[in-house]
Parts: sequence; structure tokens; C-alpha cells
Amino acid sequence: MKAIYIYKYLMISFIALLLVSCTSTEVDAKFDQNATERLSARQKELNDVLLSSAEGWKAVYYTDSTQLGGWTHLFKFLPEGKVDMASDFTLGTDTDTKTYRSQYEIQAGSTASLVFTTGNRIHLLSDANNYPTSALKAKGYLGDFQFFYYGQKNGDIIFRTNRNGHFLRFVKATAQDWTDLPKNTPVIDGLRGNAASPLFRIMETNDGVATHQFDFDYNPNARFGTATSLDLGSQEAYDVAFAFTPTGAVSKLPVVVKGQKLTNFLYDSTTANFIATGTNGVSATIKFRNEPTRLTEDYKLLMPQSGNNVYAYIYSITKAESANSALFLSLLASTEAAAGTGLFINRIQPWFNNADGTSYIEYRFSTVANPTVVAARVYHYFTIKTDATAKTVTLQPGVWKSTATAASPAIAAPAFMKALDDQFMNPSGLYFARTQVSGYTGYTLTSTTTPFRLVLYSFQ
Amino acid sequence: MKIVKTYKAALIAGVLLLASCAHEDQPTESRLDFSVPTKTDLDKWISTSFLDLYNINVYYEWDQNTVDNTRYLFPPKVEKVQPAMEVVKKIWIDSYTTIGGVNFVKKIAPREFVLVGGVNLNTNGTLTLGLAEGGQRITLFQVDNLNKKSRANVTQFIHTIQHEYVHILNQTKPFDEQAWSKLTPVGYTSTWYTEPIATSRNLGFVTSYARLNIYEDFAETAAAILTSSKAEYDAILASVTDATAKANIKAKEALVVKYYKDAFNIDFYALRDQAQKNTDAVVNN
Repeated sequence: MKAIYIYKYLMISFIALLLVSCTSTEVDAKFDQNATERLSARQKELNDVLLSSAEGWKAVYYTDSTQLGGWTHLFKFLPEGKVDMASDFTLGTDTDTKTYRSQYEIQAGSTASLVFTTGNRIHLLSDANNYPTSALKAKGYLGDFQFFYYGQKNGDIIFRTNRNGHFLRFVKATAQDWTDLPKNTPVIDGLRGNAASPLFRIMETNDGVATHQFDFDYNPNARFGTATSLDLGSQEAYDVAFAFTPTGAVSKLPVVVKGQKLTNFLYDSTTANFIATGTNGVSATIKFRNEPTRLTEDYKLLMPQSGNNVYAYIYSITKAESANSALFLSLLASTEAAAGTGLFINRIQPWFNNADGTSYIEYRFSTVANPTVVAARVYHYFTIKTDATAKTVTLQPGVWKSTATAASPAIAAPAFMKALDDQFMNPSGLYFARTQVSGYTGYTLTSTTTPFRLVLYSFQ
Repeated sequence: MKIVKTYKAALIAGVLLLASCAHEDQPTESRLDFSVPTKTDLDKWISTSFLDLYNINVYYEWDQNTVDNTRYLFPPKVEKVQPAMEVVKKIWIDSYTTIGGVNFVKKIAPREFVLVGGVNLNTNGTLTLGLAEGGQRITLFQVDNLNKKSRANVTQFIHTIQHEYVHILNQTKPFDEQAWSKLTPVGYTSTWYTEPIATSRNLGFVTSYARLNIYEDFAETAAAILTSSKAEYDAILASVTDATAKANIKAKEALVVKYYKDAFNIDFYALRDQAQKNTDAVVNN
């Protein structure tokens, strides 16, 4: 073949290739619209659906159900980017369910997202400076207020949260939801308890035949609790992550009793119990009680055979301990106020089994102006009675003295000390147990009948 | 005709080539939504008070691109924005304008303020009170917590701007870094936050944060003077027991005063007095 023909055929085939390669420049459109149009349409769709619900939307926002509970939010979206919002978030002990107005925006990014652009209730979950556990320091409640639009399902709007990628569902709210929200508050307060509530808390399950007890450790700010079995050798434990309704607490994580998943704990305001009921007699009850969940033998340290043991509340060391109960601190404050202007209680020091056979509580007073010098002392003598079954100690009151010697005369009981002193001299007795404190050996003295507990420094 | 014959192929190819372009879509208007959102009264106030006069914009609505999204921050409440920015205008802009001239802040200023409602808490327990990024943007935290009636609160808030603005001035005209670094060369530390303020002062630093590096030192020294009255600043100096440290703080003060005079022809003490006067006006009204 001549070179010219080779050249010609080559040229023809090149041209053919060139033309063929151009025949299919059009890509099959997967969508009817381009990406920008679709994003805009998505933004409009989201905004339209948000505005479509006359009573707005309700979202129970669980920011992380492995360590936190849920917070109910109500949103009413208004034209011009305004939104009315209410939530049952508790700041300190204050649950403010009032409605506040702020702004929102549908922003475009990787997808359309709903952003609450100015401060309102939902932002309380994202406050770095307000965190419910030390593990969440600088992370607040792990909350988000930018939600990526994921779609709609059965009339609900599904979002994914920006930072943590959790699903969040907006359900159409009703007028009832708005009037009901403030009714969550007494239920929230009921589960938190107050200064008058007993100090210990258990969860008791009933499988229809037998009951089992669990120690219930609940963090009211986190709305999260853990129930640990008190049965010997049992490893059974449940986490509960609560959101609240006007009638009770609903856990995202179930408590399983005899195969039944219990999540809906109804609040009984007369007993302050939260009861989740299944079928065939199955139930789980969260309740307060005065008896510690785990009793110890530590009370024996106060018996004569243990010798002269001395403990003390010391204002500069033990007052800040969190185990001091509200009742103790309020009685302390009222006693100090009644003691006289400028005076405070420096120490409350129970002496057990002194060398001369006596035992007494020594109350030491100092002036605020000169706290290191003891301004006055009073002693309340007592005898010790212990109960090996209940594992308690009872201080049976004797005389009051101003000097702790056998020769010194008894004095009249100081009236202003009575309320505080009566707690120590409780005829039903006290629990005495080692407690975790840092920097010294600590014990707690806890009433068997009232929410009275204080931390004592051990001199031994 | 021979030419036509010779180049026939090329001609046809050329026509084809051109024809192939004939049906290209011409660019149309942007499909992005550029419509201006409805301006609220607050937006209008920001426009007239900051944008029109100083070419400074104030962002109070949340935009995750202007903040560190790994931090748990949130936007301020709408009603807190104007009071906070009034404080900024009165104590910072008005003071510099009075002493440095009408155009001073117009020429050298951050172009954006980003407002955040809550605190920026670091995991080491320290708070970041403000950020200045590239001299263009200042982020102010704790806008929700500003209490105009509390002098201490206002001073802490305005300290952030005074401090960050000193950085911006430094980026425009550097200070005498060599002279500065000779004063207290050994006191700088990255773990400044563990140092008690009294210790830092007795080493010749006005605050503990000043010990991070010489730039923070300069900004802290200037800001501390600007946010204190003469009596308050004298009290700080009086609390320093170490004589060398006191001399060093005074030497730093002199460098700051010299910098303002040389670089901007500003009487630093007059600026301080004006800032104090304006702070009084904010707190008492």
C-alpha cells in the first residue's frame, strides 16, 4: 500500500473518531434541575413546611443519650425570619417555660439547614460555660442549633444536627403542647428532689414475682441516671435518659424487666415516686428513701471497744463538701445567726469514748473578725447506743456544760442550739460511714429519718 | 479556485468548528439568591452607626463560618446587641476619634465585629475574651452577659477591644520589639494561665496573659492603662513589691506612650483620660 493511502485512511479514521466522540456530549441528567436550583428549592421547601404548621413544631432534643437526657422545645415559625420558642430546659433549679422571640434563617451549605441565628432557649444547650458533668467541661450540653434538612416522613421533619450528626425530629405541635409545657416543671422538680427530700434514691423493679433493688444515681441537670443492682453478685445496670411530660419522665433508654421494656415513668406527686408499669405485674419504681443503699460497719468505730475516736465538722475544711446536705447547711446557718452577731460555728466536734468514759459534742464558736480564735465552747454530753441490725448509732442526750470536766456544773441547754443539736440526738439514730474526700479522711453522719447529713474530718 | 480546492478540507472543518459553538448556552443571571433580606431596626442601626461611618460591619446572626465550630458557642440575644455595640462605640471609637482625629478609626480598624453570646471556655479552664483575626475581624464573646451598670463588667468587655485594637495598630506600625524584648526576657511562658497575677506583676508583667509573648505583653500593657483610671493604674504599680519589676512595668509603659506618639501622634495619657471619661458616661447613664 502506498504511503498516501495509509495517510488517507488514517485521516478518515481520525475524523470518524473525532465526530463520534462528539456525538454524545449530553450527559444523562439525573435530575430535572441543576444543583443550585435544587438547593434553592430545598431551602424553599423547608421554609414552607416550617411555616405551614399553625401551632408550630415540637422537638424533644436528645443531644447525646449516652450521657444526657432530652429537652422539649416548641417552635412557632413566623414570617420575616422570626421564631417564637419555649423549652423546658432547667437553668440551675429554674425551669423557664415562657416563650421568647428570636430569629431563624434557612442557610445554604452542603445542604439546606435551619439555623436559629440569634440567642434563644435552644442555645442554652450550647453554652460552654454551663455543663452538667465535669466530662462535658467547655462543651455545655453538646447542643446544636444548626440542623441540616434531611427530609420529611409522615408529616414530621427530619434533621441531622450540625456538630454531632444526630437525627432530630420535628413533630407538628398542637395548642395543647404549648399549654402543657409549663406542666413539665413540677415533674422535673419532683425527680430532682429538694431540700426536704430524703437523701438516697433507689429504683425498685418488680418482675411480677419478686422485687429487686437498684442504687439510683441521678444527675438532674444532665437528666441522666444510672441504676446499679444492689443484689449480691448481680452486674445488672441500666442507664436512663429522661425527657419530661406533664405526667412523668420518659427515658430514651429502656429498663428491661422480665423482657418488657419500660420507658414511661409516671410521676406520683403524693409519694414522689416515678412508676413505669408493664403487663403481668411488672413495674419499675424510682423512689427516695432515708436509708442508704449500702450499709457499712463503720458505726462500730464509735463503740467503746474502738477507743477514743474524735471527728469534726471544721468550717474551713469540711463545709465545702458536696455531701453536706441542704438541711444541715440551713440549720447551721440559722444556728449561727441565732448565736449572736459576728459569731459562727468553727467546729462541731463529737468526742467518742474519752478516757474518763464520757462522750460529748463540742460546739466551738469564733468571731468572723478573728476566725482562728475560739470565742466560746459548749459541750453536749451523750451516751452511745448502737443497733447491729440497722447498723446505726444513737446519741442519747445528757447534760450540757461550758467546760468539759467532771467537776464543772451542768448548764441550761442553749435554746438556739436545739434545732441543730436535735438532729445529732435523733432518737431513731444516725448512719456513720466513710466517704470519699480529698486531702483527709472523711466520714458522713446521716440521719435515719431526715435529710440531714454532714461530713466529718477524722482525727484518727 | 485551486486555493479553494486545496483548503476545502480546512474550510469545512472550520465551519463545522464554529457551528459547533453556536448552541452553547450563554451565561444568564446567577441562580443564587442575592436578594437582600428584610432589615430589622437593629440592622439599620448597625448600618448607620458602624457601616456607613466607619466601614465596620457587625455580625450578630449566627454563621458557622465566622466562628470556631468545635467550640460550644452561640449567638447573642438580639436585645443585647445594640447596648453592647453602643459601649464599643462610646468607649473605643469615640475616644480614639476625639484624641486621634475624625478619620483615625476610619483608616485603621477591624472591618468586622462578630458577636457571640456566651463565653469561649478553653478546656484548661481559661476564657478567651476576644479574638482578632488578621487585623480584620474582632470576635467579642459574652455579649449576653454585659451589664452596662457594672463598671468592672464594662471594663472587662472593653478591655478585649482595646487589647485587640492594639494588635491591629501594631500590625499597621510595629512597635520597638527589640527594646521591648530586652526588658523582661525570661518571664514569658506558654502556661501563663497557671500563674497568679501577683507573681506576674512582680516579674514585670501587668497581667499573667502578658507573659505569653511580647506582642500580648504590649497589648496587655496598653489595654491595662487604657481601661484603668490613673489612680487605679497607680494602685496596680503600688502593689508591685519587686523594684526591678516595677521599673520594668514603667519602662514598658514608656515604650507604649512613645509608640503612640511616634507612630500615630497620639498623646496616650489624653487617650486614657478620654476613655475613662467615656466609661463613666456609659456606666452612669
